[in-house]
Amino acid sequence: PRGAALLPQVVDHYENPRNVGSLDRNSKNVGTGLVGAPACGDVMKLQVEVDEHGKIVDARFKTFGCGSAIASSSLATEWVKGKTVDEALKIKNTDIAKELCLPPVKLHCSMLAEDAIKAALADYKLKQDPNREEAEKKA
Amino acid sequence: SGPSGDGVGAPRPLYMDVQATTPLDPRVLDSMLPYLTAYYGNPHSRTHAYGWESEAAMEKARQQVADLIGADSREIIFTSGATESNNMAIKGVARFYKSRKKHIITTQTEHKCVLDSCRSLEAEGFRVTYLPVKKNGIIDLKELEAAFQPDTSLVSVMTVNNEIGVKQPVGDIGEICRAHKVFFHTDAAQAVGKIPVDVNNMKIDLMSISGHKIYGPKGVGAIYVRRRPRVRLEPLQSGGGQERGLRSGTVPTPLAVGLGAACEVAQQEMEYDHKRVSQLAERLVTNIMSEVPDVVMNGDKEHRYPGCINLSFAYVEGESLLMALKDVALSSGSACTSASLEPSYVLRAIGTDEDLAHSSIRFGIGRFTTEEEVDYTVRKCIQHVRRLREMSPLWEMVQDGVDLKSIKWTQH
Repeated sequence: PRGAALLPQVVDHYENPRNVGSLDRNSKNVGTGLVGAPACGDVMKLQVEVDEHGKIVDARFKTFGCGSAIASSSLATEWVKGKTVDEALKIKNTDIAKELCLPPVKLHCSMLAEDAIKAALADYKLKQDPNREEAEKKA
Repeated sequence: SGPSGDGVGAPRPLYMDVQATTPLDPRVLDSMLPYLTAYYGNPHSRTHAYGWESEAAMEKARQQVADLIGADSREIIFTSGATESNNMAIKGVARFYKSRKKHIITTQTEHKCVLDSCRSLEAEGFRVTYLPVKKNGIIDLKELEAAFQPDTSLVSVMTVNNEIGVKQPVGDIGEICRAHKVFFHTDAAQAVGKIPVDVNNMKIDLMSISGHKIYGPKGVGAIYVRRRPRVRLEPLQSGGGQERGLRSGTVPTPLAVGLGAACEVAQQEMEYDHKRVSQLAERLVTNIMSEVPDVVMNGDKEHRYPGCINLSFAYVEGESLLMALKDVALSSGSACTSASLEPSYVLRAIGTDEDLAHSSIRFGIGRFTTEEEVDYTVRKCIQHVRRLREMSPLWEMVQDGVDLKSIKWTQH
C-alpha cells in the first residue's frame, strides 16, 4: 500500500501544486465543501467559484491526508474548472481513481474527493436559493 | 541507482529507519564471508573437518551472544529471528506448564508477534492479561503486581519499544516476577547491543534477540533460556534435536557467526554509539521543534532509547509527509503493521488522539548516521511540514481560531 505514495502522478500533485488555497467563503458565488474527519486521517476542503452563467470559473482545495488524498482533491479542482454546476456533479470517484491509477486500498480517497465536489456545489446552490435556506432551517 | 540497474537515476534516499532494519556492519560481513565460501560445513556433522570447523564457529558465536547479555553460552539457542524467539518463549513456556498454569501477562504495546502469539494461546484456552501503559508508554508496576494470578506462568514485556523507543523498567519487572515465582520474558530486539542488558542483574528468564536490528544479518536471532532456575519450554519445531532439543534444524553457521560478530562489535561500541546517537537525536529533535510549532514527541522523554524518535506533526498527515520527504527513508510507526489502514496501536495505547496518531513519523538514528544526514532530514522536514500545513484545512481552521474539537465532521 505504501507504493501508492510513489506513483509519479500522485507525487506530481504535491510537488507541482495547482489550485491549493482558499476562496472567499462569504462570497455568494463561492461554494465550500468540507468532508472527512481528522480521526480518519482524511479531511478535504474544496471550494468553487461560479459565474452568473452557472459555470465554475475557479476552484481551490486544501487537504489533510495521504498523497492519494491530496492528488484526488487536486485533480477534482482541475476537472471542475470550466464545467457547469450540473456537469461537475457528474464527476465520478471511479474516474478520479482511474486517472491516478489508485490501488484498491486508496479508493476511499477518490470517493471523498467526489463527496467534496458535491458538498461544495450543494453549498453553492443553497446560497443561491434563500427560500430553500429558510426551508432547510425549519427542517 | 537501484539494483534494477536503470543506470542513471536519483541517488538513493538517506536511511533513517534503523528500527525496521540495519545495514550489515562491515566487520560482521568480514566474519561471515569465510563461512559463505570455503567453510560451508554443517555444524552438526560429527565425522569430518567441515563439520568440526563449522561447529567451532557456531560455538564461538554462541559465546559472543552470551557475553553481551551476561549469560552462559549453554543458555543461548539460535533461531531465525526475534519473531521465532518470541513465539518459542510465549507458546513454549505456556504449553509446557499448561497442566497447572493457564495465565499470561503482557502489555498492549508489544510487537505484533508477541500479541499474536498470545491471541493464538487464547484460542487454545489460556487467559491473557494485556496490561495498559501510561501516557508516557511505560507500564504501571502496581498494575503489574495486581495482575498476577495463582496460575500465571509467564510475564512478557519488551525492553525497548520499536515504535516509540520507550524503555520499560525491566529490572523492577524482573524483581516482581521473581517474588511471584513467575517466569519473565523480554523481547529485547531493539535493546540488545544498544543499552546494557544483563539477564542476572535484571532477573530475566527468557530473552529474544534479533540479528538484523544490531547490524547483523537478516534471518537469524537467538533466544536466551535460563538454566538456573531452569526454564522449560515445549519446542515449536520438531526434528533432529539440535539446540538442546529446543529448536531442531541445521544452525545456519554463516548467519550465527554474523550474529555473534554483531554482538561482539556492539559490546565494544555500545558506549561510543550511545553517546553519538544521543547527541544526534538531541540535535534532530531540538532543531525541528525550535522551528516548527505543534510537534509532539510520543513516549517518555527520559526513559527511552535515544535513537528511536516518534514525532507527531499536528495538522499534517503522516503518509503525505513521508511522500514529501522522498529522499529520506522513514516510516510512520511499525513496518509490520503498515499493511493495515489503522493508525498505530502503540500510539492508541499511549492515548494519542486519533488525528495525531495519523500524523506521526518515526526517525531512526544508528551507528552509521551522520550529522549531515540528520541536518538534511531536519531541513527537509521543516520545509515540508510548513508546506503541508499551507495545504491543510485543519491548520487553516486553527489559524482562524476554530476549535477543531467543536466541529461536527462528516462520516464517509
